[in-house]
Amino acid sequence: MLQAHSFLWHYLWLAPHILQVGLAIFIWRRGLHRVFPVFFSYLIFEAAEEFTLYALDLSPSVSGETFWRVFFVGLVVEGLLKIAVIGELFAKLLKPWPAIAKIGGRLITGMGAALVLVATIAAALVSPDNTHVLISGSHILQQTFYIVESGLLIFLFGFVAYFKLNWTQQTFGVALGIGLLCCEHLATWAVMASGAMLDQRHLLDLLNMATYHLCVLIWFYYLLLPQKAATKSAVLPAENNLEIWNRELERLLQQ
Amino acid sequence: MSLAILLVAAAVVGLAIIFRLAAARSLQLRRQNPPAVICPVDLEAFRNLMDPREDRYLRRHLRARQFRSVRRERLRAAAAYVRVVAGNASVLVQVGQAAIAAGDPRLSGAAHELVNSALLLRRNTTVALARIYFAIAWPYSEFAAAPVADRYERLSGAAMLLGRLQNPAAPVRLLAQG
Repeated sequence: MLQAHSFLWHYLWLAPHILQVGLAIFIWRRGLHRVFPVFFSYLIFEAAEEFTLYALDLSPSVSGETFWRVFFVGLVVEGLLKIAVIGELFAKLLKPWPAIAKIGGRLITGMGAALVLVATIAAALVSPDNTHVLISGSHILQQTFYIVESGLLIFLFGFVAYFKLNWTQQTFGVALGIGLLCCEHLATWAVMASGAMLDQRHLLDLLNMATYHLCVLIWFYYLLLPQKAATKSAVLPAENNLEIWNRELERLLQQ
Repeated sequence: MSLAILLVAAAVVGLAIIFRLAAARSLQLRRQNPPAVICPVDLEAFRNLMDPREDRYLRRHLRARQFRSVRRERLRAAAAYVRVVAGNASVLVQVGQAAIAAGDPRLSGAAHELVNSALLLRRNTTVALARIYFAIAWPYSEFAAAPVADRYERLSGAAMLLGRLQNPAAPVRLLAQG
């Protein structure tokens, strides 16, 4: 059951991406592709990439070298798209608030630069887990991308929590799914890049695929369910003290 | 291998942070009209604590050791004020966003202004707190947290405007009676 090329393995490789195509169609029909154009592109690219890799993996005429070349190229595009999705989420959250938009933009740029530096150092410290450069390079590159993406997402969640900004249901759903995906994948790719669990790689693959399945379901739930409004009181706490009210108002008017 | 362990630990911490914040958001959506708690701030007292003339006076009339001790006490008190102001700014951000979400076009403009002012104040309080802690470590350093007081006063104006639009009979109080 928990082996490569088992039914579960085939299901977990294909099902999330079939669902992803369904999600992309729903997003298109609801006009959400105009709200999240980068995320929409990511969904389509990821599904196309995984279907291609699945076909290459099963096809006996395709060499391992070809598979890993396609994997590597897909990995680079996918990684850049995910960073762009994080940028899209951040822009969506900050756009209505010019008071913190500028500093927020600067902070996330600085954070991104710091994370790239950390990820580069981490990549330099890893000793290749495979003699084939494409395979070990792919593992290290995955780790590098996930360090940057996880760091940016944690920063995004922290920034929103610090300033008590409201998430829309859809923005939150996209961020939650991609946050879960990046953190779990960071852990598994770090293990793979280190060369540990060599005999149980298929388990890590299955864990990655199962997590991706869960993330697609999270995106389905948050993007397609009707939006819930926050029920927090919209009325300011009032105090029936007309004297203070008048005095403070006068003071402000005199400024 | 130790790098892998470090990265796995970082990923677990990251997941915990994301789930905690997700749970907090979920609770916030479920909770019914929690009371927003705004603590009035005595701006005059705060300004006094931040007044560089007071510091100069103390420096002239106290011994170095006494001055450092007194200035640290004053700075700790100022930090407590700034934390209250930051808390109030957070409450006003939430109140303003809720007013925007309510979709009343009469309130939208005032609510937007309130949220922007509150976010700016929240940002300024972070910088002010960092400066205060720096000054606690080096009591002879010069610093100014006065912009926080000015910004807070402007924010109270925005809050009063929104409060008046929401409920003309009930005034809103952000400043302490004093």
